[in-house]
Amino acid sequence: MTAATPLKGIRIIDLSMGWAGPLACRHMADMGADVIKVESCERFDWWRSWEATQEWIESNGAEKSTAFNTVNRNKRDITLDLEHPEGRSLLLELVKTANIVVENYSGSVLPKLDLSFEIFRQAKPDIILLSMPAFGSTGPWANFRAYGSTVEQSSGLPHLNGSENDPPTMQHVALGDAVGGLTGAAAILVALRHQSRTGEGQFVDLSQVEGLFPMASHGILEYAATGNSPKRAGSRFGNSLVRGVYACKGEDQWVAIECSSADHWSALADEIGQPLSEFGEYQIAKHRIDEIDSVLSDSFRDKDAKEVMRQLQGIGIPAAATLSTVDILNDPHLAKRGFWQFQERAFVGLQPHPSPPYRVGKEPFSIVSAAPTLGEHNQEILKTVLGIEDEEITRLESLGVIGNRPRLPSK
Amino acid sequence: MNSEALDGINVVDVSGTVGTGYCSKVFADYGAQVVNLETESGFATRRLGPHIPGVSEPENSAMHAFLSTNKKSVVATDLSSDVAKRVLQEADLILDDGSDWDGCNQSTDAIRSSITWYGKGGPYSDFVGSDMEIFALNGMLRGIGHIDGPPIIPTGYQAQIIGGASAFIGSMAQVFGKELGNSLEPVHVETSIYESCLCFTDVGIVGAYSSGIVAPRMGINRFPPTYPLGVFPCKDGWIGVTVLTPSQWHAFCKLLEMDDLSQLELFQSAIGRLQGIDIIEPRMREKLLTFSAEDIFYRSQKARVPLARVPTMEELFDVDQFVERNAFSLAHSQHYEINVPSVPFRLFRTPPKFGGVVAHLGAHTKDYA
Repeated sequence: MTAATPLKGIRIIDLSMGWAGPLACRHMADMGADVIKVESCERFDWWRSWEATQEWIESNGAEKSTAFNTVNRNKRDITLDLEHPEGRSLLLELVKTANIVVENYSGSVLPKLDLSFEIFRQAKPDIILLSMPAFGSTGPWANFRAYGSTVEQSSGLPHLNGSENDPPTMQHVALGDAVGGLTGAAAILVALRHQSRTGEGQFVDLSQVEGLFPMASHGILEYAATGNSPKRAGSRFGNSLVRGVYACKGEDQWVAIECSSADHWSALADEIGQPLSEFGEYQIAKHRIDEIDSVLSDSFRDKDAKEVMRQLQGIGIPAAATLSTVDILNDPHLAKRGFWQFQERAFVGLQPHPSPPYRVGKEPFSIVSAAPTLGEHNQEILKTVLGIEDEEITRLESLGVIGNRPRLPSK
Repeated sequence: MNSEALDGINVVDVSGTVGTGYCSKVFADYGAQVVNLETESGFATRRLGPHIPGVSEPENSAMHAFLSTNKKSVVATDLSSDVAKRVLQEADLILDDGSDWDGCNQSTDAIRSSITWYGKGGPYSDFVGSDMEIFALNGMLRGIGHIDGPPIIPTGYQAQIIGGASAFIGSMAQVFGKELGNSLEPVHVETSIYESCLCFTDVGIVGAYSSGIVAPRMGINRFPPTYPLGVFPCKDGWIGVTVLTPSQWHAFCKLLEMDDLSQLELFQSAIGRLQGIDIIEPRMREKLLTFSAEDIFYRSQKARVPLARVPTMEELFDVDQFVERNAFSLAHSQHYEINVPSVPFRLFRTPPKFGGVVAHLGAHTKDYA
């Protein structure tokens, strides 16, 4: 037992799909919990593909989604057809061995399967059920559909980003998902702690949109405090004299710079020299932000962005190159900290994995296993967790209750 | 037994950054005792905007109010003072920003948790650190803005919030692990805000490792691989559009009377539709302008297409879903009342706190004198 496995002995039944729910459970798996991911051959995790075809199935497409493989490492995978009475019954048997069930289906799915918190509780009186719908489990939008993008849109955050002449501006293709994963992980831990102390389970209702409000808190609080909504002002924010992104040498190469204090400003003006140094002291220069921005736009065009970052950071000014995905894989800081860990994965080969962002000591948590293939642990889980014999497992396979190959939905 | 879920856990924040403040806020909202151990000038968050009109420093920060509901405030001259020692002796978890530990690690077996911009060790560990930097280095900035650039920096304290949320997970797991008997030695949890914010881009980065493809910036509100996607004007406001699956595309076309586009082979995939922007977008924009945002939102959700209202800050407080769920609640002190975002998850047996009291600077010092 070490600090690297603080959650040893905890079992999670992960019914979630896509990004947010599986990411929440991955945090638990990374710290030693036994996470059993439940899919079915027809209702497999949609992040394997939302456009499945027979050709995709035959080319083993279900196993090649880097997105799926990134958020499901360190887990075990079982396929159970929950629409089949025996599949549903096996799920409830698994629930009897678990601490918590996590789901992020749309609101109509669990009732269709005749599953609910009450039914899980009948199977295991101290079970926790975490539901992670976009808008929460109560209210008029409880059953509304959403993706991570919908969550960002609904949070109001786009009204705080971008330029005045542009529409409210999104930050990301699925901002809500990553944040939902963090919020979900927090919810799991809080509920587990209460269960451990008291022997009580409970229903936990997580709204992914409400989880995003803290990201927009600066705008929400400005309206709440003053009655005024902040105006979209491009990259500018707060009292910073400089907060912008400036062109450097090469195609789509940029450096982001911020001066939020008199010290930052005088250091930058000294470093760049004329004409920046002619704008005067911080309080005076604050009246000429547009002109300063214009000067900076031409100050780095013949310089390497990463070199400018190091140069300005060297004199205490917040500055960073805008890295690309490939840059980040090769980032010397992340390399030095061992952030990217590599695992062989069937059908894919070697794949990098991001370490958890928290660590104990110098080394990140070890990534023990790559994401499971569909139904990879059917035999292992049915035998060792539920005590089912080989003959019965063969029968379940022949009924299609379990399996290892995806099938297109029959209805 | 209906005590709060984190009852009995004592957390002390000795640094008072947005990161430690958000991390400890989650502890406080779910029942832990959290003490802000402040210097005489107070935590830096007390000077962050937005500010509450008519209230003076150090009690006028709305951001500090949001971060500090249900916490205590104790003032100590330094971390080795008697007052600080009494506070720290109670602690199960001590949060810091990586710079304030040396004075308080002598006599406690508490878990230490440091939230720093870049983590300890590595070439960026001495970088100044800012929310802006993190979104440049994590690759997110590359995707925001017009094609010709420059990229646009998101506003706010978002990176620090994500760092605090990540630190909660790492710290709470150690507190819980210790209670379970899984973690017996005092540990030091270290959370990097940079690494925390790679959660937004890591999936794309791993994809780029496999494909070698670096996705270009495609313009405002355009992010591969999903299309249609974005925020579009309606008759009276804005509507958020996301159409991903073939069935959603068919239903979306029916809603907007674009039946001739519905079955085109190229448009059966999101990537195919992305290639057909010039055909789809003018038709979609023209039609969306004929609807009110509310009307098209409800119609689309009925048709199982995940469109979204995009409320302004003002509108957020009146959205029926958020009103019914008490998504905003009152933080209050002797000086003000202000609506702040409520908790993001609710435990039905052990309800969290909604809003709460914000302690003025040093309000609880006497308890430890």
